[in-house]
Amino acid sequence: MKWFKFWRYPGKFDFYRSDDRLLLIQIGIVVGVLSGFASVGLTWSLSAMLDSFAPFRQLWWAFLIPALGLMLSSLFLEKIMNEGAGHGVTEVIYSVSKVGGLMRLRSCFSRLISSCLTIGSGGSAGPEAPVVMSGAAIGSNIARFFNLNERQRITLVGCGCAGAISAIFNAPLTGMIFSMEIILGEWSMVHIIPIAAASVAGAETCRFLEGNRIAFESSAFHITSYDMAACFGLALIAALASVMLTRMLRKMHHISVKIPVPFWLRAAIGGAIVGLIGFAVPDALGEGYHTIHAMIHGMYTAGLGVAAVACLTKIITTSLTLGWGGSGGVFAPCLVIGSFAGIAFQRLLLFAFPTVMWSGEGLFALLGMAGMMSGLLQAPLTGLFLIVEITGSYDVMVSLIIVSALSTAITHYFEPTSFYLKDLIDNGSLLRPGTDQRVLSDISIREVIETDCIAVLPDMLLKDFVEIVKKSARNFFPVEDQQTGRFLGIINLNKIRPYIFNTFLYDTVVVEEIMDSDPEVVFYDDELSDVLQEMDSKNYFSMPVISHARFIGMVSKATLLDKYRDELKAQTFHIV
Amino acid sequence: MIKTLLHVFRNTPKGREVLLQSLYFCKLTGVSIVIYIPEHPKFLMYFDNDAVQVDLDKTYLADPATAKQHAEDLAEKAGVFPKFIKPKNFTASTLPDIPVHFDFMCCPRIIASLSAKISPGHIGPKVRRIINTATFPVLMPVPQFKEWKSLVVFFGGSGIDVKELKLALSLKRATGFPLYIFTQAEKTPKDYFEDVLAKSGLDGEIKKNVKKWYFFSKGKFKHNLYNIPHDALCILGAYDKEFVKDLIWGSTVELVQKTLPNTLLIAGPHYIIPPG
Repeated sequence: MKWFKFWRYPGKFDFYRSDDRLLLIQIGIVVGVLSGFASVGLTWSLSAMLDSFAPFRQLWWAFLIPALGLMLSSLFLEKIMNEGAGHGVTEVIYSVSKVGGLMRLRSCFSRLISSCLTIGSGGSAGPEAPVVMSGAAIGSNIARFFNLNERQRITLVGCGCAGAISAIFNAPLTGMIFSMEIILGEWSMVHIIPIAAASVAGAETCRFLEGNRIAFESSAFHITSYDMAACFGLALIAALASVMLTRMLRKMHHISVKIPVPFWLRAAIGGAIVGLIGFAVPDALGEGYHTIHAMIHGMYTAGLGVAAVACLTKIITTSLTLGWGGSGGVFAPCLVIGSFAGIAFQRLLLFAFPTVMWSGEGLFALLGMAGMMSGLLQAPLTGLFLIVEITGSYDVMVSLIIVSALSTAITHYFEPTSFYLKDLIDNGSLLRPGTDQRVLSDISIREVIETDCIAVLPDMLLKDFVEIVKKSARNFFPVEDQQTGRFLGIINLNKIRPYIFNTFLYDTVVVEEIMDSDPEVVFYDDELSDVLQEMDSKNYFSMPVISHARFIGMVSKATLLDKYRDELKAQTFHIV
Repeated sequence: MIKTLLHVFRNTPKGREVLLQSLYFCKLTGVSIVIYIPEHPKFLMYFDNDAVQVDLDKTYLADPATAKQHAEDLAEKAGVFPKFIKPKNFTASTLPDIPVHFDFMCCPRIIASLSAKISPGHIGPKVRRIINTATFPVLMPVPQFKEWKSLVVFFGGSGIDVKELKLALSLKRATGFPLYIFTQAEKTPKDYFEDVLAKSGLDGEIKKNVKKWYFFSKGKFKHNLYNIPHDALCILGAYDKEFVKDLIWGSTVELVQKTLPNTLLIAGPHYIIPPG
């Protein structure tokens, strides 16, 4: 038994004490493999579900299939798993940013099952976010099992995300970049190596089980200067599509929560509408990978109008699916919408400039995908490398860079934060490493409180108070009620100097008359960032801390900044 | 430094009894009460190395309009100044995060939607998990408010037992109530326990503050529990053993809570004695 206990604390092994990267690499590989299994499991389950529903898609009641799927998905998450559904990737970023990478064990599998029900029934969503959530939760819980510290746990959460993305797209580089760029928000050596190992482990697991396939392998493209020039226009179209999707997702969620029906009925209604739309535009259903295949291989025959309508429809069905209670991610829909946008743009170019020799429509489809991904996620590297790896098109790298960078910049103009981060920023929950907010969030009022103030009574004579001032090294004196101990006010020595030196007042003035009875105070559970802001705005150097109407101590700017420096050092020592 | 107790308030007659117990504890020990009135059927507590999700019984959401007033009235009658917390952070829109920087937490034996499925003699899995993870002890009151007038600490000679002895001594100082020690020694001689006390530097304080040491080397633990005063607050350490041992031999704390109708104060393996 002691042996078992010993192995649960590998961080204490002498071998890993000087450099824990070796430990993180080993555990990271395990996390990557398990994330790979989760990813392959979801892919197989989805494939089985989609195949089993395929014969019924043409029947009149087929619109009820997504309705049933979304309803079961929301019921499963809310009633069976008690998850309190949110967007998977956002929850992972929240966990890394705010709670040291802690995630619930149930998250290892809950989103896999719910997203399988949503997407398998025809809901417009992607399997990537659920797999990311699952991988992150696997990493977090393995870290918990081995009693690793917060930094190591965050690295393993990153490993889980990298392994998952790497496995589902067979794209190890993308997995690694996604994890660093979107999930962790920092590029440090201490993270990169274990995450790279996990990413490779995830990809190898997928290759072992499914073979080394490239998701959307494309043929080589001959890119002319006209195509390069067209990249600028395509970036604009992709950026507008990503702004539209971001806003529509948000809008749909706001509309749906206002409808006074149970959550499962709301999900069913959303699913039914998606199903009905699917009769008119079948490409708008499911994760849509077969449509991407057709577009990249130049087998998509529809014209400009149909492609543009399909693009808009996919935005609507995705928003309905995810906004009304379905479970899944936006990666796959993003790729579909992006490729539709690319095709529509290519058709427009053909119409406007019929004499120009444009490259094949497959090129525009994959440039559209990169633009859309980069715009929505505001993560140009993830978008760029994802497209390169899933299509194997290294020859279009320059065009991809142009579209990704421009699309990110244009989207940023309309939507300053990415889809994943918007809620977190609005709630003040995005605390990226090394930022002012993050450092302050890790310091509590308890740590900076100064308790050496001498309390005085309200009916004390000025003469007696002066005697106390002589003994004290501080400028602040809290005034407390003798009976209850309640905080009544504070005396700031700087404000009462005229009285102190006037001996005529010594026997006539009492403390109550010279105290500030309504000072600005800080409460025990206040955020230090708010306290510091208050101090800055009102030019205070110290403020009293109150709890349960009693004076606890003072918090001063000098102590706070000392502690801030210590915390900053502790948080950034590993960044090489 | 002010010590605080977290209480999750249930606005029902049963919840009132539990709050009365918390208020009584706070009044006697000088601890301040922080009350959370749930607005969602679940909440998360992020401890140092674990995230515990508590899925509440539906009754915790009963009559939210009167909940705060009821809690304030009870606190006022008890002469305790309450503070109400509202969650600032949410893991998901319906899943608030409750802070964990308290010195005590009051938990009824069961605080979960599965209460109907758990027999009354058991500690619910969520409460067990909180005890296992928290750095603060958990006050586990009896279902009906009952004043306690003495303190009994269960001492088995382990590391957690020394910590709980220190906790008991601090409560003894705060309340002035008589303190008893209960030891089920089996075959271990008393010298061993006295040695542990001496090594931890508590022997002098124990001699000065402990009224009686119930030391049993014979008889069944369950039967010897009869000696514990009916109006005592029992302080005990929990889950210090390996999970597998607990599974095979049963947990002492589960046996105590099943047998004794007393309010318990349980310190888990991660309990940290607060400074001051």
